[in-house]
Amino acid sequence: MNITLKSSMLIGAGALLVACNGPRRIRERPIMSNGDRTASQDRIISNAAASGYSDNAMLTQARDSVYAKAVATCRGTICASVVKGEISLGMSLSQAMAATRTAPAAWTIRESGNATIMVPRVLGNSPRDATGEVVMIQFDDERVNAVSFRETQGIRVVSSAADTTTDGRATAMADALIREGDQFNAAGDRALALDRYDRALALKRADPMLEYKVATMLDLQLRPIEAQIRYQRFLQSLEIEQIRARGQANAQLADAIARAQQRLIVLERQAPAPAATPAPATVPPPTVTPPDSVASPTR
Amino acid sequence: MTIPLTVALRRVAALGLAAVALAACNNKRVSRVDPGSVTDLSGRWNDVDSKLVANALIDQSFAGQWSGQFASAHGGTPPTVIIGSFRNRTLEHVPIGTFVKDLERAYVNSARVRLVASKDERSEVRDERSDQQTNASAESRARIAKESGANYMLQGDVQAIEDAEGREKVVFYQIDAFLVDLESNQKVWIGQHKIKKYIDRRRIGW
Repeated sequence: MNITLKSSMLIGAGALLVACNGPRRIRERPIMSNGDRTASQDRIISNAAASGYSDNAMLTQARDSVYAKAVATCRGTICASVVKGEISLGMSLSQAMAATRTAPAAWTIRESGNATIMVPRVLGNSPRDATGEVVMIQFDDERVNAVSFRETQGIRVVSSAADTTTDGRATAMADALIREGDQFNAAGDRALALDRYDRALALKRADPMLEYKVATMLDLQLRPIEAQIRYQRFLQSLEIEQIRARGQANAQLADAIARAQQRLIVLERQAPAPAATPAPATVPPPTVTPPDSVASPTR
Repeated sequence: MTIPLTVALRRVAALGLAAVALAACNNKRVSRVDPGSVTDLSGRWNDVDSKLVANALIDQSFAGQWSGQFASAHGGTPPTVIIGSFRNRTLEHVPIGTFVKDLERAYVNSARVRLVASKDERSEVRDERSDQQTNASAESRARIAKESGANYMLQGDVQAIEDAEGREKVVFYQIDAFLVDLESNQKVWIGQHKIKKYIDRRRIGW
């Protein structure tokens, strides 16, 4: 009797152990089974389309009204810039928006006295003009006096007419590359420094100091032949600079001489005639009338 | 010559079985059913999964701020998207194109997103345009270098985890989709859908 009880208990315990070690089945209620229906995509799309069309139409309308206002109040080069999509100095707020083809929804505008600052509402979704991504427009007396663009080498600020030209942009980019090169050089990464100087040199050809920096980098990287060529080019460019400077000085000197001679003539003609013995009555005294161009010299 | 009753019954039963077997061989039935209906047969990836993924991604994509923010920063011009690679990282055959095409359709028809031809699609278009430069009349010729550049690329993948014990099996699918800004590499939107299937192969069942 005892043996039977013990054996059955053992079997029971064994079965329990086996049950404990087996996979635990979790019965979940199905959320979808055969015969059900999936939701229609057309409803989702039509809802999105309805709101999409109205949102875009609203934004386009706002943009067009800004554009109309900008074009109605512009003149000359500003008008041309608006049409080309380039922000230029002296533009009004609406003209700057029109140049970037945006509406007020794209910008955050802050005013303080005569100064106004316009920055993109969402960073990473900055408006663009034909030149690049605009990150800030500064206004003084409601006219653009500085525009900042996000370039590969950082922020480029346009605050004078010279900055807006292609040369001005190239110089700004080259300067940024040189700064980067200097930073890499200071950090000990000469290969990257050389890369930045080389790229700057493509934008700023006539810069002897940049040539010298490239030569030094090559020298430090144990590339003597290339370094020698660059040093020679540096010296040559210095000579060319000297010649150019001498030429400019000579040109300026020649110009000064010409102007001085011109001025002397004018002064001589304007000066009263010296008192002299009366001439014979038969010969009339000469009258000198200086031409207008000579009478009003620029300097 | 009389046949015993049992033998006769056996012969009738055998004939009946043969008839049933023949009928069973010829019982092909084809019917059209609603494409929206749920029909799970094997437990593998099927049209229902594809549709669920498409619906979820469309919903999530439209609920995101990315297209609205782009449009407001660009005077109402919607963003342009190109379809990139969508990888199937499962051991199963998962036709990616079905739900990606659903997403494309939703983008174009919603007017919230512009879509440009993907890398594979555009080569044929370019060939045709190139052919037009020689063979089409000047007024009907498609001009070159007028393609729209995309702002974002749609990428994604499908992954699966399987767990099986005896006649039971659980398959988990995770579908991730994301839009990457082509200029800054920023992910501007991430969509995700998960499907968990429980497959029970019963020995006897109705």
